[in-house]
Amino acid sequence: MLGRFTQGELAIAGRRREQLLFLMDNGIYVVTVLLFVAFIFLAPYFFTPRNLVNILISASLAGIVTAGYTVAILAGQIDTSTQGVLAVATVTTALLFEEAGFSLPLTVIFALLAGIAAGLFNGLIVVNGKIVAFVATLATQGVMLAIALFLSGGQTITIAREGLQEAVFIRVFGIPSSVWIMFLCYIVGYIMLTQTKLGAHIYATGADYRASLLSGVPVDRVIRIALVISALTAALTAILVTARAKQSAMFGLAIAGSVDFVTALTAVLLGGFSLFGGVGRIERNLVAVLFLTILGNGLQLMDVPTGIILIVRGFALVLAVILSVLRARMT
Amino acid sequence: MASDEVILETVDLDKSFGAVHAVRSVSWKVYSGRVNALVGDNGAGKSTLIKLISGALQPNAGGFRVRGQETRIGGPAGAFGLGIAAVYQDLALVENRDVVMNMFLGSELTRGPGQIFLDHKGMLRQAHKVLDDIHARIPNVREMVRNLSGGQRQAVAVGRALIRGGEIIIMDEPTAALGVEQTQEVLQLIGTLRAQGKTIILISHNIQQVFEIADYISVMFHGDLLGTRSRDEATETEVVAMIMGKRSP
Ligand SMILES: Nc1ncnc2c1ncn2[C@@H]1O[C@H](COP(=O)(O)OP(=O)(O)OP(=O)(O)O)[C@@H](O)[C@H]1O
Ligand SMILES: [Mg+2]
Repeated sequence: MLGRFTQGELAIAGRRREQLLFLMDNGIYVVTVLLFVAFIFLAPYFFTPRNLVNILISASLAGIVTAGYTVAILAGQIDTSTQGVLAVATVTTALLFEEAGFSLPLTVIFALLAGIAAGLFNGLIVVNGKIVAFVATLATQGVMLAIALFLSGGQTITIAREGLQEAVFIRVFGIPSSVWIMFLCYIVGYIMLTQTKLGAHIYATGADYRASLLSGVPVDRVIRIALVISALTAALTAILVTARAKQSAMFGLAIAGSVDFVTALTAVLLGGFSLFGGVGRIERNLVAVLFLTILGNGLQLMDVPTGIILIVRGFALVLAVILSVLRARMT
Repeated sequence: MASDEVILETVDLDKSFGAVHAVRSVSWKVYSGRVNALVGDNGAGKSTLIKLISGALQPNAGGFRVRGQETRIGGPAGAFGLGIAAVYQDLALVENRDVVMNMFLGSELTRGPGQIFLDHKGMLRQAHKVLDDIHARIPNVREMVRNLSGGQRQAVAVGRALIRGGEIIIMDEPTAALGVEQTQEVLQLIGTLRAQGKTIILISHNIQQVFEIADYISVMFHGDLLGTRSRDEATETEVVAMIMGKRSP
């Protein structure tokens, strides 16, 4: 088929397409800045130090979970089990710290281990069961939610003991620890994806599983690792959410607010990622999360009813999906 | 050419897909430093045979002798270890990655503690060198493969085979999708490889092309290897007859 083009024609088509793709991919930077500037004028109290820190705090929770989610998407795995991992990890955190009296470091380690276990479980079903991640993780999420429900007896576990919330409220240079943790996640993610062999294999596996397999890339191991990273960041988020709220946030939604599968998905798509894997840059994702957070925060400050805000966010997802499909058609 | 050395030999190699007996007890000799053409009608079993050699498929029976040694080829990685590298019919390139990353896919150069970091500079340098060696015309090695022409893609895939330490390079219908000019490019590429002492296994449907470039011509028919002729002793008529299933005396 390519034989029909002369080299020149193809090069021009290629260049124009690359320019358009560049615009689509980096548009998120421009749109975010525009939105930010618009809210400075439209939303009262938006541009105050206090509110800016608030934006960063809510962005941090969605941001951390999205960082790992991005890695799974890049490997071609749509991980829908985020809610399940959040539930297991939040219950683990609350139970160990409050009821079992574990120290803070031990609690964190075990909650993260619970996340890793969840990721390995996903990997088992996806790789060994040869089931598409989207479906497999929908099923494993059910199992995880049930486990969380069982462990907690269906109750919200309130944390009376001191030390957990204080730890996340610690500020360094005026910025809360969860924000630093988010930046750390993105820095590590950026280095891993662009500078390491694992990163190269994650991109390749997501972009073309078969070609990667034939080239000797350990595709199955790569998929397992990507799913573990995704679950690990969900567990990390769960710890932070639990600590902030001083209670287990069983179903993530109410307390975690924007920490959910849909936000992560919207951010990933707005960030120019392909749902089919192998395309996207993690730093754009961070900007997309900031965009969504600023959008919600600004509208709230303008006293827009919550229902409308949810509708706007819904449209953001629709727009993101359209962009993603357009992009996929072009490549 | 009686003095030519056999570098790879299949021994009673057999492969079935359910009821389809794609490769029937094939014993085939591949000559070192030569262009070994494999011809045959659609479905004759050519791709299956070379996938067995490149480790992409496992045989039901039979084995290999590489450089005189009995061996098995456990998978693509095992084949690379023996210096066998395939350029598949669809090239197995990752469209959304650039030329360098494709050339090093699965054999990335690394550095630093635990060898986890990519040696971007080293890969860039070596990619340029390998592409220059095979006279490939690729202006920008950071270009995405999706923007390359068919001939350029072929060069990238061959470059990858060479980076793998490929001594035996398998090419499955490398010119099937190409126009006249790019076909010439690929034929020149094959000539360059042979001049560098590489062994080439070439699958092609183009008999004229095969007679132009191959040193040995082997014919498959319905899973059987009917025979091998050196180019000088073969005639087009005989080869065409063999492709249609006429076993020559
Ligand atoms: N993975 C597979 N599963 C089932 N049957 C297969 C598979 N691969 C090949 N076959 C069958 O094996 C036979 C040989 O196929 P093969 O691809 O080796 O032929 P070929 O000589 O390369 O043909 P072509 O010239 O069309 O590429 C065909 O009948 C094909 O349908
Ligand atoms: Mg074939």
